[in-house]
Amino acid sequence: MEHYRPAPGTPIHDLDTPCLLIDLDAVEHNFRLIADTYRDTVCKMRTHVKNLKSPVLAHMQIRAGGTVGGVCAAKVAEAEVMVEGGINDVLIANEIVARDKIVRLCSLAKRADMKVGIDNAQNLRELSEVAQAQGVTLGVLIEVDTSMHRAGIRRVEDGVELAKLAATLPGIAFRGLMSHQTVPGRPDKQTRLIEGRRFMQTCLDLKEAIEGAGIPVDIVSTGETWTYDIAADLPGVTEIQGGTYALMSASYGYMDEFDIAAKILGTIISTPRPGVAIGDVGVQALASPGGVLPSVAGMPGVTVEELHDEHIVLRTDGTTPLKVGDQFLLHSGQQDIMVNRWDQYIAIRHGVVEAVWDIPARGCHH
Amino acid sequence: MERPIFKPIGTPVAQLDTPALVVDLTLVEQNIATLHAFFQHREAKVRPHMTHRCPALAHKQLAAGGTVGGISVTTVGEAEVFADHGFANIFVANEVVTPQKIRRLCALARRASIMVAVDNPTNIRDLSEAAGAYSVTLEVVVDIHTRLQRCGVAPGQLAVDLARVVHAAPHLEFAGLMTYEGPILTTGPEALATESRQCIQQVLDTREMVERAGLPVRIVSVGNTSNYEIAGGMAGVTEVPAGAYALLDTRYGSHRPQFTPAARVMTTVTSRPEPGTAIADAGQKAVSIDLGLPVASNLPEAAVTSLSAEHCRLRLEGAADSTLRLGDKLWLTPYDMGTCVNLYDYLHAVRDGCLEAVWRVAARGQYR
Repeated sequence: MEHYRPAPGTPIHDLDTPCLLIDLDAVEHNFRLIADTYRDTVCKMRTHVKNLKSPVLAHMQIRAGGTVGGVCAAKVAEAEVMVEGGINDVLIANEIVARDKIVRLCSLAKRADMKVGIDNAQNLRELSEVAQAQGVTLGVLIEVDTSMHRAGIRRVEDGVELAKLAATLPGIAFRGLMSHQTVPGRPDKQTRLIEGRRFMQTCLDLKEAIEGAGIPVDIVSTGETWTYDIAADLPGVTEIQGGTYALMSASYGYMDEFDIAAKILGTIISTPRPGVAIGDVGVQALASPGGVLPSVAGMPGVTVEELHDEHIVLRTDGTTPLKVGDQFLLHSGQQDIMVNRWDQYIAIRHGVVEAVWDIPARGCHH
Repeated sequence: MERPIFKPIGTPVAQLDTPALVVDLTLVEQNIATLHAFFQHREAKVRPHMTHRCPALAHKQLAAGGTVGGISVTTVGEAEVFADHGFANIFVANEVVTPQKIRRLCALARRASIMVAVDNPTNIRDLSEAAGAYSVTLEVVVDIHTRLQRCGVAPGQLAVDLARVVHAAPHLEFAGLMTYEGPILTTGPEALATESRQCIQQVLDTREMVERAGLPVRIVSVGNTSNYEIAGGMAGVTEVPAGAYALLDTRYGSHRPQFTPAARVMTTVTSRPEPGTAIADAGQKAVSIDLGLPVASNLPEAAVTSLSAEHCRLRLEGAADSTLRLGDKLWLTPYDMGTCVNLYDYLHAVRDGCLEAVWRVAARGQYR
């Protein structure tokens, strides 16, 4: 675990590198945009903290507005960090099946409104058993597979059956439905609209069927950063699970109303040949799933050639000369896998450190 | 920070909280014994490179013999952590150039013997000045680039010139030469030997030139897990900074049959949404896929098809498809152990299927 706490007021060029920066102007802009989008809508944001991993940032969005007042997490350990950090409404948008973890989840339900995804009757019965034994009520949302072929029920009739079971089991409160979907590449607005509506309609069809069976569905939690604007005016959708929008990444360039807030600061440690410079940050710190490379920000003519474990190979065409000791900024091609490799955010504004925040849910993959 | 549910020592491994990075002690001890035995009676010794970032494991390596008595790391932060865990001889096999890091390195040299790599005369001057201010002596090796186009000067005269600059610097001791040629994993044994020798010979030729210039060369650091026998068998090589051999991974696996993957990620099946598919609780945050996908190693009829941030998707066939249920455990062998272990704060050390120890991955995240 690293502990690096540069004092507020430290200029960027005095920072020890590599470090993970967040630009506060950018993140505040992103939070404001969400608050404005959902000010007068039925649908609200439930920020996904699998990306942020920090209660401080989750509270910033909740205070800025436009949210359901709670967050969404992927794992029980993440939810623990959020509840300890003062968040009292957490949806774990995932199936929790190991007995140990169900016990932890129920323990959290004594202090917060806990909801969890389900796609299996046996699992639902076990949740009920443990919740009953601990004297708590767990909210459950049926996970619906809309396109990803991951977890989630595939057929409407299976969803109705599961809802009926949930509505009758002690210790369980049936709350509604959830889904998650992705869209490949860099879609234009029209593609996002068509694909997003099509996916979310799968959820809404199940909602109708369950309500037809006499069971109320108060939550439809679906969508993500790329559908945040589409879901806002889709009747029936009550909340959006947005994660990437807060810090953004270069791979979401098609959503350019959000600003890139997360950047990696590095230093050139070697210039072994003309036109080549080696930086002090590599794949260990940046994450490069599927070989996706970061890009250099604000240095015309400088490109990323390779990532090694602890090094980056940069090439410059001479427009921006690079020498040993120079700093550079990287935009990651990917975001939450990268944030998960850091223990601190160095929060900066106008090139100066304003705060240092721990990332307490880093490594909380349990 | 990782927050597993800690289980008592002696707990059967299948009851550990998942995802968990589990080390099989019998296998890791075999791997260490195999490599260290090779160096036991040779001029060249192994200087274990801290790919695994775990001091407890590093102590096992140094206790196994055949070593230089020290370790190799990549960053100053890693060196600090290992010094704090009792390691007194540390090679930072990398260029350390910023004033802050140079000060940290010199402060560390007050309590441990520190060796560092250089490829630039200005950096040599900065290191020497700081070492003087801290009243310490840093050992310095000249970094030579051979196969990887990364840091380092070209072999030959440029390296000799740089060695002279180090030698003339008042608070530095010129120790020798290094190259990091990188793992050579794409070729058969003959091509591996040829390619390794080509790289290493360039360093040995440079050694001769440096010695002819009147500077003794005490250290020649070359080689890695992919070619340690070749590197360690060449006269003039003094140390091999091998790291991957201890825990191994599937990237090295088929090329290095004398070692066995000794660490795997245990994951739990969380969804069986349709026949032929299982979803498990280890995604990219629990198994790195920067260099390649992991392999499901306990079920021959299960194949990993993709990992998203929090989930692993597997395709099942035959008996696995009809029997695998929610809550069942699967074992994933990572493609690249270095990036995988960096995702964990704890290694669960297991022997004969039961928990024997929980070790801190103390140098995880030490990128600075």
